[in-house]
Amino acid sequence: MHTRSMFLRILWKLLGASRGRLTVALIALASGAAVCSALLNVNLDAEKKLTQEFRTFGANVVIAPPVTGGDAALADASVMDQIAAQHDPRIVSRIIAATPFLYVAANSGSQPVILAGTLFDQLSKMNSWWKLQGNWVSSGGDREQCLAGVAAARQLGLAPGSRVEMRSGGRTISLDVAGIVTTGGAEDNQIFTRLDLAQGLAGLPGKLSLVQLSVSGTTAEIEEVTRSLASAATGLEVRPVRQIAAAEGSILGRIHGLIFWTIALILALSMLGVLASMAALAMERSRDVGLMKALGGPVSRIMHLFLAEAGALGVLGGTIGFFAGAVLARWIGGRVFGVEVSPRLVILPVTVALTMLVALAGAFPLRLLGRVRPAEILRGE
Amino acid sequence: MASLVQVENLEKRFGEVRALDRVSFAIDAGEWIAIMGPSGSGKTSLINILGGLDQPTGGRVVVDGQDISRLGERDLTRYRSEKIGFVFQQFHLVPYLTAVENVMLAQYFHSITDEKEAAEALKRVGLGDRLDHVPAQLSGGEQQRVAIARALINHPKLILADEPTGNLDEANEAVILELLRELHASGHTILVVTHSPAIGNLADRRVELEHGRLARIHVPSIAKD
Ligand SMILES: Nc1ncnc2c1ncn2[C@@H]1O[C@H](COP(=O)(O)OP(=O)(O)OP(=O)(O)O)[C@@H](O)[C@H]1O
Ligand SMILES: [Mg+2]
Repeated sequence: MHTRSMFLRILWKLLGASRGRLTVALIALASGAAVCSALLNVNLDAEKKLTQEFRTFGANVVIAPPVTGGDAALADASVMDQIAAQHDPRIVSRIIAATPFLYVAANSGSQPVILAGTLFDQLSKMNSWWKLQGNWVSSGGDREQCLAGVAAARQLGLAPGSRVEMRSGGRTISLDVAGIVTTGGAEDNQIFTRLDLAQGLAGLPGKLSLVQLSVSGTTAEIEEVTRSLASAATGLEVRPVRQIAAAEGSILGRIHGLIFWTIALILALSMLGVLASMAALAMERSRDVGLMKALGGPVSRIMHLFLAEAGALGVLGGTIGFFAGAVLARWIGGRVFGVEVSPRLVILPVTVALTMLVALAGAFPLRLLGRVRPAEILRGE
Repeated sequence: MASLVQVENLEKRFGEVRALDRVSFAIDAGEWIAIMGPSGSGKTSLINILGGLDQPTGGRVVVDGQDISRLGERDLTRYRSEKIGFVFQQFHLVPYLTAVENVMLAQYFHSITDEKEAAEALKRVGLGDRLDHVPAQLSGGEQQRVAIARALINHPKLILADEPTGNLDEANEAVILELLRELHASGHTILVVTHSPAIGNLADRRVELEHGRLARIHVPSIAKD
């Protein structure tokens, strides 16, 4: 019989002999691991979900010509092709929407108004929170349509279904008002129509004022996209909208912080639970350890037994906790973030490793048994 | 021939208490020594030091050519596993291990385990049919026989027994006595702490302690010392 199998044999008996206390420790470990695994799972999915949601709250990157003197310079519409030509999948997948704008100073009757030419499908992806009265602009149809900002609509006396005529530099277009939008921003004063119509009215075919982008990711990831776009769009400035990036980053940071500290706290509590049952176990085992030392058992060998025991407990508790946590994560994800949290296997080794550390730290009282003096222990009674 | 054990001016103090006070004697290989004396006279203290469980506060103990009063923790551990076989009054078996596993535990700490050899050792003490019983399923006498099998399994130089029959009735005492006698006959060196005159009379010599001092060494057959 090998020495190794004797080790396992003793370990097995040891586990059996102390199953009551070890079960208590296991429960502490598994519940800690469950919360830890649940939060880690939620953390990943919630971050994805939140960054996606943030990205429907307006642009966070703007591409525009550099401001030179007082003149509002214009960009070439080819910049849209340069954005579309990005092929690094990490860049492409982060660009949620790229919305071009050409702003035209026009008049409707005697009233000055800003006509914004844009792409409506991109506009809707980026501004899903806009309040719409009436309909969104439909593609096709025989009459040209527009959306009116709520302030502009009031000023011009527009309602869904009414018609507006606009002039600029001698040209005129006439548009059907599909809907009125309330944006809470400068857009309330604008009238939105198709890009090519605005370009036609202004006599600026192939020109843009700027492009607004919605880019998902962390501050660093957004900057990576910004850099990549900057090198593609020569002659233009690519700027992240700092306040937005910073605000999103800080919300995510707070959520991460909250989750991190919760995990730390839970693991500390679970370690206290382990510590308590291990302390009781250490009392029960002091005589056996004294005896083993008296029989010539090296402290290191005896400690290996206890460490293996704690390690096994950690692996078992971590694994149970991982699966329990996956279930918990689904529940939390649904309740709090409204996301389908799908448990990730990468979290299994992380949870097991953390739980093992907790178990080993919690086994500290058993380590103290190494100091037991056999003469004193065996003399007693 | 040099003695197997030499005890020179051995002193053990616990604070103010002198458990052993300048004790000197020697044991030859193959000898059976009984250590006797009233309660508190230092018998357990002496046997603990000889067994490497405790260290003296003065004097010297040489066992098998090795001065154990100078050994560090690690060397003492090895000394215990290689040179000593312990038998205690309270048997001291590991409660969750079977009889054969208790014997194998000593093998495990010594070198490698050999279940067959461990089973053989239990057969020799008459427990061949109780290999897989845990201590709670064994009588006191049977537990003490397991302990004796365990003490012998690594072929120790010195067997140390501290009141091995102190917790046993007469019938079981007789069984243990018989085992000790066999061990002695097969050449083992045995040191037994005992209150039992029967064991005292069977030993080659009786070392008597009083207040930590060596009062007399009594040789039942030849008068010596
Ligand atoms: N760890 C200790 N701390 C303090 N005093 C101790 C310690 N161990 C032993 N003593 C004292 O040393 C003296 C000798 O004790 P020891 O146990 O060697 O006696 P003993 O002869 O074995 O007695 P008994 O027959 O009752 O077992 C006693 O007075 C005892 O109280
Ligand atoms: Mg004693």
